[in-house]
Amino acid sequence: MQILLAEDDTETAEFVARGLGELGHNVLRARDGADALHFATTENCDVIVLDRMLPAIDGLAILRRIRAAGVETPVLLLTALGRIEDRVEGLEAGADDYLVKPFAFSELAARINALGRRRPLNEAPTQIEAGPLRMDLLARQVWRNDTIVQLQPREFRLLEELMRNSDRVVTRTMLLERVWGFHFDPQTNIVETHISRLRAKLNRDGGADLIETLRGVGYRMRGNA
Amino acid sequence: MPSLFKPSLFKSAAYRISFVYSAAFALAILLLGLVLFWAMHLDFTRQLDGTLRDEVSTLLAESRSDGESELADAIAQREASTSRDRLLYAVFTPDGRRVLGSLRTGFPRLGLHDFTFTDPGEGPDAARGLAVDLADGKRLIVAADRERIEQIDRTIVSVFATAFLLVLLLGAAGALLLGGYLRRRLGAISGAAEAIVEGELGRRMPVSRRGDEFDRLARSLNAMLERIEGLVENVRQVSSDIAHDLRTPLARLRNRLEQALAGTDPASSGDVVADALHRVDDVLTLFAAILRIAEVESGEIRRTFAAVDVSALARELAESYAPAIADGGRRFQWSIAPDLLMLGDRELLAQAVINLLENAQRHTPEGSEIRLSVSGGAQELTLMVADDGPGVPDEDKDRIVQRFIRLDASRTTPGHGLGLNLVSAIARLHGGRLRFAGNFPGLRVILEFPRSDERGEPPFHPIGAGSREGRS
Repeated sequence: MQILLAEDDTETAEFVARGLGELGHNVLRARDGADALHFATTENCDVIVLDRMLPAIDGLAILRRIRAAGVETPVLLLTALGRIEDRVEGLEAGADDYLVKPFAFSELAARINALGRRRPLNEAPTQIEAGPLRMDLLARQVWRNDTIVQLQPREFRLLEELMRNSDRVVTRTMLLERVWGFHFDPQTNIVETHISRLRAKLNRDGGADLIETLRGVGYRMRGNA
Repeated sequence: MPSLFKPSLFKSAAYRISFVYSAAFALAILLLGLVLFWAMHLDFTRQLDGTLRDEVSTLLAESRSDGESELADAIAQREASTSRDRLLYAVFTPDGRRVLGSLRTGFPRLGLHDFTFTDPGEGPDAARGLAVDLADGKRLIVAADRERIEQIDRTIVSVFATAFLLVLLLGAAGALLLGGYLRRRLGAISGAAEAIVEGELGRRMPVSRRGDEFDRLARSLNAMLERIEGLVENVRQVSSDIAHDLRTPLARLRNRLEQALAGTDPASSGDVVADALHRVDDVLTLFAAILRIAEVESGEIRRTFAAVDVSALARELAESYAPAIADGGRRFQWSIAPDLLMLGDRELLAQAVINLLENAQRHTPEGSEIRLSVSGGAQELTLMVADDGPGVPDEDKDRIVQRFIRLDASRTTPGHGLGLNLVSAIARLHGGRLRFAGNFPGLRVILEFPRSDERGEPPFHPIGAGSREGRS
């Protein structure tokens, strides 16, 4: 993917750029707001990683201008401010995701992947498939091969999130945000417990484990097992 | 008493106010004097005019009935009187010759007017007279010496001048006394403040037994100082606790890395790095928790408060936690009254419940029963997490809310001792409180919140002062 990284702190920028490069992404770096605005509107990027506080033009202002210019590229906002108000403000300005510094690189990489995959949503599928799994979003029903898997509502949401991002890493934090609506780390094993229940239900009739655990990072749904 | 012209005297608000006040009072007296002077002056002149008019008509009446000789007699008779109030008379022929009376003056104008005459004893003197023409063409003037009016004027002026000066003097003296008093009282307060600035943090404002404004000010300042000192002490305590809490994991991390570098660690380098990562994450988590508490305690989140369906939230959490608690080998029950709403922050309320549920799991043996209940009245909303575990001794119930406090019984369980502190901060943010009670056996952790009123405004308490003592 082509990623625009607008971050003025050299150390963070280099560390992130190197990491993303190793993952095979092509990173375009902008050191201030003016550069960021220029690249965002002229280059064809898949994801924009935007620091909230940039020299020359503030990150939020850039974001509003990018959106005003009709650029639909997904934007991941980086910020040192973890306050609820700041997050709301960022999302209202048009950010697609929000990450508070300091962050773990694996968290950033997973979120970038998820954003890059987010393709036009207007087709809004009613069915998702991943490997032997099939999910009907309208009937709220899941099949493994042709056997129905009975799930609790929360487990269904969890599986949906994993299937939508199949073959990509979904971090524990992303799951807390998207499945439980918690934008903080409650310091609990709630995700682990639900994953293990979900796994048990999916594997009830035998067959390969479809949810891969990446220690310290998150989970990955095997799409073509 | 300091010299009147010390520059500080004019820089003092106390003196300035007193001086201005007495000067204003003196000025008021001066104005009153002027008004009185003019009023009296006019009144006496008017009275005099009346007397002159009466006298002239009496004389005219007498001369008309009895002829000119009678007029001459009447004038002579009146001039012979020795009364102090006697009037002056003169009759002039049209060519200006005085033919009757002893008033020495020139040919007078007609009507009421002031003029000068020659007093046989005192020389030129001021007088007020009324001149009329007689039937035979002669002109009669009746006049009064103005001496009396002038005397009265002089008396009024001197009385008020004296009063003005006295008020000015007394005012200045009073101003000095009052100003000195104010300066002394304020000086005591600023002296104490300066001592505190110099580092005498325990110093307090003097409070007298009078209970006046100064004492009330001193008392509120003292309460403020008390609070600030408490906070400073708290910050000092917390920073040393943080330092202490961080040293242990960092020291272990250092040892591990040192051994790995020296090649004496039996684990593979990958495992060492993974372990190091884990330990660093632990430290970062601690920092995140501290920042989180600070954010909650600042109270800024109140600006984004919205209606939260606590019943729905609690049910969601109960359902989410039931598997985890069951996996941990404990029983979990919940009873949640429906449709209880309050103004608040959904995520923080969730965090509070999660922390309480986590605590209940962490500090009870397997096989225990954990119970979550939500109930509400018209005035309040109560969230309770109860367990039938070992409980907490009464003497420790206040301590466990404090930062970094971990009872000896739980030394071996993971955590930084910040969980309940955060719950307590969240309760206070919502105007509620956290308290503990016995469950016989076990512990009840109770969160009580006041219900928002009709307008949807929660009864806010300042998060600092007072609420820590559990004001409801």
